Order: sequence, then C-alpha cells, then structure tokens
Amino acid sequence: MGNTVVLHKGGGKNLILSLNSRRFVLLKKIAGMRATKFLAIIAVLFSFTVVAGAGTLEDVKARGKLNCIISSGLAGFASPDGKGGWQGFDVDFCRAVAAAVLGSGDKVNFVPSTNRTRFAQLNAGEGDILFRNTTETLSRDADLKLTFLPINYYDGQGFLVPRDLGVTSATQLAGASVCVQVGTTTELNLADYFRFNKMDYEHLNTGTNAESIIMYESKRCNVYTTDASALASTRAALKKPSDHVILPEIISKEPLGGAVRHGDDRWADIGKWVVNALIIAEEMGITQKNVKELAKKPGNNPSMNRFLGTEGSMGEMLGLDKDWAVNAVSAVGNYGEIFERHLGFNTPLALPRGLNASWKSGGLLYAAPIR
Amino acid sequence: MTQKPEPMNEETKSAAENYAVIMRDVHKWYGKFHVLKNINLNVGVGEKIVVCGPSGSGKSTLIRCINRLEEHQQGEIIVEGIELSHDIKNIESIRREVGMVFQHFNLFPHLTVLENCTLAPIWVRKMPLAEANAVAMKYLERVKIPEQANKYPGQLSGGQQQRVAIARSLCMKPRILLFDEPTSALDPEMIKEVLDVMIQLASEGITMICVTHEMGFARTVGDRVIFMDNGEIIEENNPDDFFLNPQHERTKLFLSQILDH
Amino acid sequence: MDWLFLDAAFTGGSRDECSAKAGGACWAVIGERLNLFTYGFYPAAERWRVNLSFVLLIFTLIPILFEKVPYRKYALHIAVAFPFVTAWLLVGGLGLTPVETDQFGGFMLTLVIGITGIGFSLPIGILLALGRQSRLRAIQIFSIGFIEFIRGVPLITLLFVASTMLNYFLPPGVTFDLLLRVLIMVTLFASAYMAEVIRGGLQAIPKGQFEAADSMGLHYWSAMRLIVLPQAMKISIPGIVNTFIGLYKDTTLVIIIGLLDPLGIGRASLADTRWTGLSTEVYLFVAIFFFISCFGMARYSQHLENKLETEHKR
Ligand SMILES: Nc1ncnc2c1ncn2[C@@H]1O[C@H](COP(=O)(O)OP(=O)(O)OP(=O)(O)O)[C@@H](O)[C@H]1O
Ligand SMILES: N[C@@H](CCC(=O)N[C@@H](CS)C(=O)NCC(=O)O)C(=O)O
Ligand SMILES: [Mg+2]
Repeated sequence: MGNTVVLHKGGGKNLILSLNSRRFVLLKKIAGMRATKFLAIIAVLFSFTVVAGAGTLEDVKARGKLNCIISSGLAGFASPDGKGGWQGFDVDFCRAVAAAVLGSGDKVNFVPSTNRTRFAQLNAGEGDILFRNTTETLSRDADLKLTFLPINYYDGQGFLVPRDLGVTSATQLAGASVCVQVGTTTELNLADYFRFNKMDYEHLNTGTNAESIIMYESKRCNVYTTDASALASTRAALKKPSDHVILPEIISKEPLGGAVRHGDDRWADIGKWVVNALIIAEEMGITQKNVKELAKKPGNNPSMNRFLGTEGSMGEMLGLDKDWAVNAVSAVGNYGEIFERHLGFNTPLALPRGLNASWKSGGLLYAAPIR
Repeated sequence: MTQKPEPMNEETKSAAENYAVIMRDVHKWYGKFHVLKNINLNVGVGEKIVVCGPSGSGKSTLIRCINRLEEHQQGEIIVEGIELSHDIKNIESIRREVGMVFQHFNLFPHLTVLENCTLAPIWVRKMPLAEANAVAMKYLERVKIPEQANKYPGQLSGGQQQRVAIARSLCMKPRILLFDEPTSALDPEMIKEVLDVMIQLASEGITMICVTHEMGFARTVGDRVIFMDNGEIIEENNPDDFFLNPQHERTKLFLSQILDH
Repeated sequence: MDWLFLDAAFTGGSRDECSAKAGGACWAVIGERLNLFTYGFYPAAERWRVNLSFVLLIFTLIPILFEKVPYRKYALHIAVAFPFVTAWLLVGGLGLTPVETDQFGGFMLTLVIGITGIGFSLPIGILLALGRQSRLRAIQIFSIGFIEFIRGVPLITLLFVASTMLNYFLPPGVTFDLLLRVLIMVTLFASAYMAEVIRGGLQAIPKGQFEAADSMGLHYWSAMRLIVLPQAMKISIPGIVNTFIGLYKDTTLVIIIGLLDPLGIGRASLADTRWTGLSTEVYLFVAIFFFISCFGMARYSQHLENKLETEHKR
C-alpha cells in the first residue's frame, strides 16, 4: 500500500516518504516490543542489585510479612472483602506461603498489580512472590528471568460473546472486534489464532479486567477473550450473566502458576513445596479442619507423618519450621478446599474441577512427593 | 563591550560633591544601533533639567541609564557620588535615591493607592508600617488626593494615577526625581493638575530631570533645557534662550513643529 | 431516578439479597464497603488517626481559603505544622503504632496524594517558572530541561519508574517508601505543568511593572513576591486550578504501582463474587466523589477570580 503511494509521488517527496517509512519501520519495531516486556527487561537488567541483598527468606522473616503480588481484582482469584482484607484463589496461595514461612496466614501484604506491570514489580522487589493468573511460558521463564512454581491452575483461552450475537463457535468470529488485555499471553494467542484461521479481526487493548468489562458491556467490543477461568469470573460479574455465553473452543494452553525472581533457589523451593503441599494434602485427605488434630497424634503413615512434620526433617531442609505444611493447610485448607471456596459450584463462577482435579480423579494435579 | 569601573580620580570626586548626576562620554548601543552617542551631562544638586527632542532621539534611554533601567556600555555615570557599575548593591543604593515617574504611571494594580505608596518604604527602607502610612498620607495630601488612599489604581482617572505615581516616588524621599513624559498619556484637562504638582515640587529643592515637551513647565521651572537628536545632545541652554533663540537648525525645526500644534 | 432511590436497596449482604428486595440500584455494596472506600486497608483500630487528620485538614484549609476568618494570621502560622503533624499521624512512629503506607487506599489515599501534590507543586512550579526566565544560564537551562522532560513523559511512566526503577539506583538495603516516591513523582509532574501555567501569567505582566519595581530599589525576590507574582498568579488561577484538578484525577493511576485509590477499590470490589455486576453503582459512587471535590475546586477558583476582579476593577 505504502509503495503505491511512493510510486505516484514526485522525486523529492518520494525521498521524504521513503525516509519516513524507514523510520516508521524502526518505530514499529520498538513499539512492537511490548511495554511489558520492555519494562520487565529493564527490570531484569538491574535485578542483580536486588538479589544481591540477603536471601528472600531472610528478608521476609526480618520483615515479618510476606509481600505477595496479586491481581487488582478478578472475581474468585483476588478481590478485597469489605473488612480491609483480600479473598480469592490466588490470595489463598499467598496466605499459605505466609503461614508456612511466618506461621500465620495473616502476615501478608498484598500488592495489587496489573498485567503490564506484574513482572517488573516482582523483579524490582516490590513483592517476594507472585500469584496472579500468570501463564508459564518459555520466554517469561528464560527471558524475563522468572522461576515458576508448580502449576496451580490448568487453564486455556476462550471467548465470551453476547448470546444475541448468535455465534456458537469461535470459527464464526471473522470480523469481530475483540477485547484483550495488554501484556498477556492471551493477546499473543489471539493474534496467532486469527492468523492461523485466516480471519480478520479488530482488537481493543485494555489494561485490566475491569476495563475489559466496561468495554464489553458498553459494546465497544463484541467479544472478550482471556483465560477461561477469568471468562467465567467475568461472566459472573456481568449485569445479566445468562445473556452471555462462553464459546466451546479453548485456543491455548494457559498453565497458571506462581512465580519468584531468578536467582534465589532456596526461596523458589519454598514456594514450590508449599504449592505441592496443598495439592498433596488433598490427596491424603488432610483438611483445614483435621490438620491440627492429625499433627497432634502422629499415626503410622510415614508420608503423612513427614507432611505433618512429626517424622523426618522436611521443614528444616527448606529452612522452615517443621510444621510448615500444617500451618499452610490450617491457614487456607487443601487445594480442593481452596478451589471449592473460590471457584467451585457454590460460587457464581461455578467452575468444574476438570483438568484441575487430582491425578487420582482423572485430573492433571500431580505433585512431587514430600520425601 | 562593558567596562570595568575605573577607580574615581580626584577630579571626579570633588565634582561629585557638587553634582547630583555626572555623565561622561556615555555611549550605548542596542545591538548595532548606537542609541546614545558621547553624552556629557552634569546635573547640579537641586537643578531642574528639561530634556526634549524628537521621538526616538534617545531621551528615555538617557534618563533610564541614570537609574540603570538601561545599561550603558561605555563612559561613566556617577549618581549622588556613586558610580554605576555591575555591582547590584551599588545599583540598589542608587535606585533608593532616585525616584522615577513613568509615562504610563506603572502603578501596581493589585495594591491600593496607599499600599502603592508604602511598599518601597516598608520593604526597601524598612520603615515601620505606621510611619510608612503617615509618610504616604503626607505625600498624598501634597498631590491633593488623600481621599483616594484606599482605592485601587484602576478606580482613578489618569491624572490622579500620575499624581499617585509621583507621591509613590516621593515616599522614598529621593534626592533625584526622573520624569519620562509624565503628561503625554493624559487628556489635556488632566495635564494641568499633574504639572501643578510638579511645579510645586520643583520649588522644594529636589533635583529633577524631566523629559517633557511642556514648554510652559520648562520655562517656569527649568534651569536648563537639553535638546537631543539621534542619540546626541545637540544643544543646551536656559529655557528662555532655548525657546526664543534656538541656535541649531534641528532645534529650530523641532521647535517650529511643536509650536505649530 | 426511580432506579437511583425509590427502587433501590440500601441493605443486604450480596447482590442477590439486594435484587430479592428491590429492582433498582443496590447501594448495599457501597454501605458494606464504605470503610474500604474511605480508608483503604488502613488498620481498623487506627482509623481515628485518619479521621483526626481530616479534621485537621479542614481547620487548616479554612483560614487558607477564606479571608474573613478570625485570627487568620495565627491560623496561617499554625498551618505550616499541618503536613508534619498529619504525616506523623498517618504513618505513625514516635509513640503511635506504625502503619505501612501500602495500607493506604481509597479516598484517604486520593486526599494524601492530591493535597501533597497541590501543596508542593505550586511553590516548585513558581520557582521553575521564574527559573525559566532567569538571566542565569545554568538555572534557565535546568528549568527548561526539567519542565520539558517531565512534560514529555506520561505520568504513568513516571509512576512506574518511581515504583520499580528507583530501587535499582538506590544502594541495596536502602528502602525508600513507595508512597513517598509516588508523592515525589506526582509533585514533580504537577510542578512542571504548574510552571508553564505560571509562566503564561508572568508573561502577561507588563514590563512597566518590573521597571517600577526596579526603579524603587526592590530586590528581585521582593519584587517577585510583592508585585509580579500576585498579579501573575491571579491571571493564572484558571490554569492552576485546572492543573490541580488534573493532578487530583490522575491519582487514579496509582493502581499501576499497586496502590488502590477509590476507583481501584471500586474495580477490585466488583471482583467480589457477592457483588459482581454492580458496576453502575460502584462507578457512580466514585464518580460522585470525584465530581464533588473537583466541582468544589472549580467553584472556589471562580469565587477567587470574582473576588480579585472586583478588587482591582479597571
Ligand atoms: N529595547 C530596545 N531595543 C532596541 N532598540 C530600542 C530599545 N528601546 C529603544 N530602542 C530604540 O532606541 C531609540 C531611542 O529610544 P528612546 O525610547 O530613548 O526614544 P525617545 O527619545 O524616548 O522617544 P519617544 O519620544 O518616542 O519616547 C529608538 O529608535 C528606539 O527604537
Ligand atoms: N494468563 C495470561 C492472562 C492473564 C490475565 O489476563 N489476567 C487477567 C484476567 S483475564 C487479570 O488478572 N485481570 C485482573 C486485572 O486486570 O487486574 C497471562 O499470564 O498473560
Ligand atoms: Mg521616550
């Protein structure tokens, strides 16, 4: 298109145009580097300064509080209650880590973040750990220098549309205008999907989920795409949820997990094993209710005893108290309890366990053993 | 182009005692434009000088050099025994002794008449408020508008405003007063009230340098008239001789023009 | 209208309970979260400190804003202590339980940022505006550089730099309170715009005013303070108030550094599964708050303009 314009112009103008277009390409290149990545890379470049301090574990213990980066409001995952606290699936993982490290699930400072700034905030040391609907990807792991904790939610990207649009499959979305959040994997998947299926679309970038809802409700876009779990949560947040449908296609893998900064393996281990412990607790039938009782009178199940800290020195190896796992579970319950409390059928999100069931019930949750 | 002030020689020192203002070989340029050329002027203590000349001849520039609103580039200017130099302390102490009345009054619109008059005494002379008010009222009476003291300048007529401006200058008890066409922005009926005040002032012994074309004023109070053209002092004489018997061709031409009107 | 009041439900524990009661708006969500909207995450036991600061604020503002207040002169002197007293009250220490500034939120956060920004950006803006016109090259270059740099960068970027990048330039172990960094950035940002507004005012002052001041022997600073600035400020009032309002509204950007202003609280609250779908109510509530305060500022500036207008009527 640009070329034809150049051809029709006179010599002098031609030069200007071509110069401009070259500069334009350069600009596009810079602009194409997404802000998230740009910011995060700058953050990474300097991150040794932060890491150079004492270990994160020591920092957290000295502070007496865990700084945990969460989303700034996504139903079921993180939202403030009326009493000055936060509630949600991600929030409970924060509390579990705090309980394991500091003995109490209340010793958390929650640091709300946006998609765009979350990694920079983590790398800048504004938080010790991040639990925020974050998809594990190669580039985030290697390039943005994050260490991912075990997946705590197996998700995939879907599409939400108004029922009266009459669309029943994502393949009918040609020409649609789609709301998508900047700085996310979903933004990239969306482009891939439409290109692969040779469909045109228009995309409207939003900064937060709340913004997407406003755009979607005011019909600035007629499709909203993000992680299916978040779609369920968004749908529940709409004025009349039954007027909207989530299309059957799941176009990507979105394994969501917590993350910490590169370079502090000890701290990464703690995050990793707290998540594992919550999953294992469900496998072993350890619940928020019975965990204290069980810990009081050790039984003859060795793996249960190792979990409860009544046998072996698992906590010590992590640099924690021996009842680290007990504290985590008594603070928030096991994985299944957390799921049901915030996402399950008794919540407006009504998400099925699906892939997020324990491997024993046909799901993908399969945590390495505490041994 | 600027020169370091030279130490005053003996001659200058003794002269400074008799003269309020000494200008010696003063030159000034605006960029390339030579606006003052070789000005030599001594103003005696208590002397009344009237400066006239065609528009653009450098009259304003001349008197504005005396209180350093404009900077000269060559020659020396000594005011009340202090040589004007780059030293801001020098400049400020000269300005304390030299009052100026402008063509467009330049009153401070956000202050009342009284506040206009007391501002400098309070902040420059560090006079207590009560005393400054008393002094201000004294001079407002002298210029015959004490009843306007609490109004804002915008509420006064042009003549009244110019009289306030004169009172404002007087409140600093200056030894020299500079006037730059104080009546030329006024309607004819107001010119007289301002001139009357100036004539009265003249009788009180203050040194006055006055750019004006008011011949009546010049003849009543002027000790000497200076005629400028093209940045030069062309002619100087006592008023009677100056007006009745001009020597220079350009002076004659100028006088014929202003007299015709 | 009916929706707003008549058909609205004012109590209830969730959206469902609301709709069971009435078909209109569900204000119960605001009721339940009023504390959250007001104090953010400030610990409940310490909220009296916020309240006290607010009362102090009102007592400080009255003599500053209105001329006909008894003992105004003394009140203005006492007002100087306000920032320090409030900072101590809100942050704690020296006998009070310390409160982390990341617990600040809601209206209180908006007020803290807004008032700090407004209070400090005006004097800094004046200095920058004067600096920009200064005859001293170094000062002039610094002022122009600063103003143009800040105006060339969006506030959101500055906030981001404040929240993350600054850490890297500080020696390890030195922490620098996040809110303080934001306050500094917001203030600098507003100062640059303020400087330009005031410069416009300065340029509108006739040369004769400077000359009259000079010819009286007034020092530069006295001339500025007594003659030039009062007039320049008067001319600039609409621009100044605009900058204030802009700054005040910009506080909603603090979300990107993990602080929640009323809008952030509102958005986050909508993510509570009990209250989802009530966006109209929540946004309306937040909008009303901002409207009232911005409208108040605009009205006050009008009042000020009128007053000054009659004072130096031409
Ligand atoms: N700031 C300036 N920069 C450049 N040129 C100037 C400046 N001020 C004055 N001039 C020029 O210098 C010359 C003398 O100006 P000046 O104001 O002294 O004249 P004047 O004799 O007072 O005239 P008038 O009777 O019109 O007031 C004029 O030609 C004017 O254009
Ligand atoms: N999993 C994807 C998408 C993450 C994402 O978009 N999260 C949204 C929900 S869909 C969110 O947390 N929104 C809350 C907010 O905007 O603060 C990623 O990691 O990039
Ligand atoms: Mg002139």
